[in-house]
Amino acid sequence: MRPILSLALLVAAAAQAAPPRFPPSAVVLAQAEEAPSVPGPGAETSVPPPPAQPPEPKPEVPRAPTARPEPTVPSEAAKAPKVEPALAPMDDDAQDEQPVVSEPESVPERDVDAPVTPDDAPVLASSDEAPRTTDAREQRLVNGAPLYNPNVSLHIVQKKRFADESKHELALYPAVVQVNGKYTNHAGTALHYIYHLQENFGLQVTGQYNWHTNESDFNLELIDKVREQAQAASSLLLVWGAQAGVEVTPLYGKFAFLDDKLAQFSLVLSGGAGVGSTRHLIRPEVSNEVDGQRFNVPARFGDTGTKFLGSVGGGFRLQFGESYALRLEVRDLIYTARVDKVDGCNLADFEQLEAARASGQEFGSLPLSGGCKYEKFDGVDPKTKKNYREDIILGRDLVAEPSSDVLNNISFYAGFSFLF
Amino acid sequence: MNARMLRVFAALLVWLAATGAAAQDDEAVLDNVVVRNRLYEPGGHLEVSLGVGLPVQSHLTAHYFFTGGVAYNLFNTFAIEARAGYAASRHTGLARSISESFLAREDKRVTDELEDLWEMNFHGVAGIRWAPIYGKLSLVSDLPAHFQAYVWAGGGVGSFQRNSVIQCSQVVDRQLGVCDNRTSLEDRGSASENYWVRETRMAPVVSAAVGFRFFILDKHGVRLELRDWVFRDNYRVNLVRDDWEAGRVTGDVASSPGLTHLVQFDLGYTFSF
Repeated sequence: MRPILSLALLVAAAAQAAPPRFPPSAVVLAQAEEAPSVPGPGAETSVPPPPAQPPEPKPEVPRAPTARPEPTVPSEAAKAPKVEPALAPMDDDAQDEQPVVSEPESVPERDVDAPVTPDDAPVLASSDEAPRTTDAREQRLVNGAPLYNPNVSLHIVQKKRFADESKHELALYPAVVQVNGKYTNHAGTALHYIYHLQENFGLQVTGQYNWHTNESDFNLELIDKVREQAQAASSLLLVWGAQAGVEVTPLYGKFAFLDDKLAQFSLVLSGGAGVGSTRHLIRPEVSNEVDGQRFNVPARFGDTGTKFLGSVGGGFRLQFGESYALRLEVRDLIYTARVDKVDGCNLADFEQLEAARASGQEFGSLPLSGGCKYEKFDGVDPKTKKNYREDIILGRDLVAEPSSDVLNNISFYAGFSFLF
Repeated sequence: MNARMLRVFAALLVWLAATGAAAQDDEAVLDNVVVRNRLYEPGGHLEVSLGVGLPVQSHLTAHYFFTGGVAYNLFNTFAIEARAGYAASRHTGLARSISESFLAREDKRVTDELEDLWEMNFHGVAGIRWAPIYGKLSLVSDLPAHFQAYVWAGGGVGSFQRNSVIQCSQVVDRQLGVCDNRTSLEDRGSASENYWVRETRMAPVVSAAVGFRFFILDKHGVRLELRDWVFRDNYRVNLVRDDWEAGRVTGDVASSPGLTHLVQFDLGYTFSF
């Protein structure tokens, strides 16, 4: 048996070395389009269709177990497109049992339009053993590629099952959580609209609202234990942001989860610019005791204006079906921060307010700057009995030393999108 | 007429159902092809790895991890792994700034130590790695990258040191915030010893990670990982300045110090036998 096998290997090697008798893949593609019953290139069309007729036995040529068998094509089918049979799984046991020389048998007549299905077409999903043809000599090209090479996924990766071009995508991120919060904590919700201008390029409009913004526990710990705190500009809080930008998907792929589920994914990169509204913590949550009664006074924030906002980001888009996708991204919201006004009041305003507070003067008669909302620092909260005038000194501290910074608010975005 | 229409509709329905079923079959076959044709099957193989970890967040301390690991892949999706290494650690500029300014802040006579100041150095952990996801990525048109996505969980032990930024046992210059033996007050680098209160300990550590392993050639791989090291914090509260500046132990151990997280981004190399 071994000499025969060796001889067969030699014959197979010679056959591999001979010039290919197959037309270029483009020609095959054209032919395949003419004859729909013939498997064409690409992953989806490379799978042989169910046989229209029972498999035909091989005529004349002895089969070598390590070489790809040639399909038997009736002479009447000379004008039919040439079809490369799919490669058979390499099964060592099967090779041993397979007769090396088979008697030629008569070839029954068949319809030339019927799909040519060799008897060694693989039953892809029938067993646990994957086709193994890693030996280059054993790789026969099917429409330009070794279809049953384990690396045949090249074809499959190349062909995207769902096209994005000209589609609209609406992505909702219910949870947007800041991950680099040294001095600040942000959590919010974002909504993105993307129009996929091309397959890998889209225009994007984004909106985000942070329903939780506060200074971090670390910053409060510094204040409490060592009387230190971040500069006002470094602990600026972003309330909302709106941006326009672009999104590109340079990479895509597929993955299998536990051999059962298949998902397509794309690597998305995005960038944009816009504006965002900021604020700063003036006073953390405190308890206020008035006439023996204790009130819980919520934290107080001061408006620090709208700032220029930019962003860069990246992540994965896992597509489920044609219309739904899961998005996991990380974005860095970059915004300029200069704190020289709080609630429209600058340092000179706060000093006038403080002087008026000390002397019990009304704020309305003060020559404050136009945008200063002095009402926010006047009066007493009827619920908590907190005197807002006590916050003037805290607001003054924020702008006493005007600070500036460029903040990076890196957040994790988890959401889903709908394509239409 | 009705019977004829019924037959036509029935035939149409059968045809539509058959077409749909065939399409689904094709899709199922394709999916299986994708799933089954794994170029890299680590199951049954031993592997070694080297990694460098950079801090993702650094408040008061920063760590730079250097680790080596040995793993055995019980299956394609499951492995057991042991890792050991050393983390070079330091105080951040913020911590140094706090320590210098706090020396001069004599209005704060009683305070608590800051949290999360322990620095991890030597460490060893053992854990399991579950890689349920095998994927293929098209980097460029002709170059697919095969990868596994995994989660990792395990535990072990580490050696830790803690250098206070509050308790200076020998104040050299209060206004300049000097608490070491520097030869020149302006030159911090000239110091060979500092007088900040230092503690050491060994403690259990738990680690968890998510990451990707990209296969390269037959036996090599590149690992990208986000890893969290978690250990119990330990610090003292109600410290009295007069006591610590006299070199006496002061304060009480915090009753519920919480956990410290060291989050790192790890870049690694793996070799499979």
